Amino acid sequence: MTCHYLRKRGKPLANDEQKNRSPRNWPKLLGWTVVPVLLLAAWQISAVHLQQPWLFPPVSRVVEQLLHPLRQHYASGSLLMNTSVSLLRVLIGFALAAVVGIPLGVLMGSVRTIRGLIEPLVELLRPLCPIAWLPFAIAVFKLKTVPQLFGVRFSHTILDHLQLGMIFVLFWGGFFPILVNTLDGVMGVRRNYLLLAKTLGASRLQSFVHVCLPAAMPMILTGLRQGIATCWFVIIAAEMLPGSDSGIGYLLIYAADQSAMDIVIASMIIIGVVGALLSFIMRWMMHSAVIWQGKE
Amino acid sequence: MKLNDPDRPETKVALELRGVSKSYCSESGSLVQALDGVGLTVQEGEFVVLIGPTGCGKTTLLNIAAGLLAPDSGQVLLGKGLRQGDNIPCVFQHYTLFPWRTLLHNVTFGLEMRSIARHDRNDTARALIAKVGLSGFEGAYPHELSGGMRQRGAIAQALAIKPKLLLMDEPFGALDDYTRMELQQMLIDLWQESQITVLFVTHNIDEAVVMGDRVIVFSERPGKVIKKLQVKLSRPRRGLSQEFTKVLVELRQSLGGYVWPGE
Repeated sequence: MTCHYLRKRGKPLANDEQKNRSPRNWPKLLGWTVVPVLLLAAWQISAVHLQQPWLFPPVSRVVEQLLHPLRQHYASGSLLMNTSVSLLRVLIGFALAAVVGIPLGVLMGSVRTIRGLIEPLVELLRPLCPIAWLPFAIAVFKLKTVPQLFGVRFSHTILDHLQLGMIFVLFWGGFFPILVNTLDGVMGVRRNYLLLAKTLGASRLQSFVHVCLPAAMPMILTGLRQGIATCWFVIIAAEMLPGSDSGIGYLLIYAADQSAMDIVIASMIIIGVVGALLSFIMRWMMHSAVIWQGKE
Repeated sequence: MKLNDPDRPETKVALELRGVSKSYCSESGSLVQALDGVGLTVQEGEFVVLIGPTGCGKTTLLNIAAGLLAPDSGQVLLGKGLRQGDNIPCVFQHYTLFPWRTLLHNVTFGLEMRSIARHDRNDTARALIAKVGLSGFEGAYPHELSGGMRQRGAIAQALAIKPKLLLMDEPFGALDDYTRMELQQMLIDLWQESQITVLFVTHNIDEAVVMGDRVIVFSERPGKVIKKLQVKLSRPRRGLSQEFTKVLVELRQSLGGYVWPGE
């Protein structure tokens, strides 16, 4: 009935693409513009009225902090410096997790013996929150940094903030999502594709390189995306714990101790934005690497 | 195993199965016998169709011929110059092209495995893509192609490695009638032009009569050969002539008990 009515009025049934562009999508448009502005305005007005900036600072003060990312905050450094430290720690921990996790996942996925030997261990360690490793890591690595590994006591660069303990914990954060997804990806390769490759003359090694790996690639990239997101969660929590002396999580907890709620909120915004950016970059890389995903 | 020819040096056999049996474990754990003492011969250049009810072990037989499965007992003998995993490609019904490769790179796959120079293999592939009527789609991914186009691509992919024996497992089973007829004609043309040997599995009676020089009818599980039918119709065959209908009826009758139980 509805359909008939619409046809009579000469309205073509819009496909998804048209829907997105049509004015019918006004809720989404308002959601991105008017709603945030209203919220910020409400925040600003109530904060100015309340006059308790140590508890509820006005937007303007938070924005002011964000506009001065190089300002030194007491002994804890600037927003930019601390964000860079956190990001660098995450990238190194994540890279290590990928370098170990992907090959191990591929190996476990293709060699039954290795999978049998390692899988129980993985299942036991995986549910353990990576943060739980921190006390152990600090006890083992003390406050040793990456330059000290190479015999340099103080490099007087950002590298002095790369404590081995932090990287160890980040490693565990990224390792399991990467390992488990890679394993699933390699084990989930459709047998038909392997048979097809075989009849077309591929050797076992060629099947592995030209069929297993590309077929598992979407899952490997999913693992990387989950891994880097977990690392970013983990680093913030780890930096908020005792034993840390830098990083955006450290700045956040330090500013909270000083009742500098504007810096706390500015840090929160940065954490959110960096997390979203990391996710966006990974998604973009995935999109161009596996345009065929889900379209078999 | 190579086919020994001392008994019949004059015949040119591409593939011979002798008493091939195969059982496998079903998911529920019970032993299922898929093939029971199957014997058949495919001559060089012949177009042989295997037909039978679903689940009669036709696919198992094809996989054994392709070297993807080993028979429990019996022998698989290959003619001179035929090697499994070298020049006996198989075109399946689904998952025929690698979804992460473009059409061009799907067709070059077999040549890439043989380390043929990029330039040469791309040339070969482009010519074959033109031959199956897909010119202009070289850069398309399989998900951008229709079902019929994918099967055309799969045929080009198989032909790229210069097959001696082409195995086809219900390649047109998922296509609509119109596309199916187009592809049947294309395959026959390609076959007549290149004189490769084709072993073609189907459960479509009409298709069997349109395509086959010889039709081999399988029984229900465990699969056994119950009839071998020579189709002596001139090509191109279309299903309106009296002769065609006669063959069709003959084949229907031999399949009768399976197609219409109780008849």
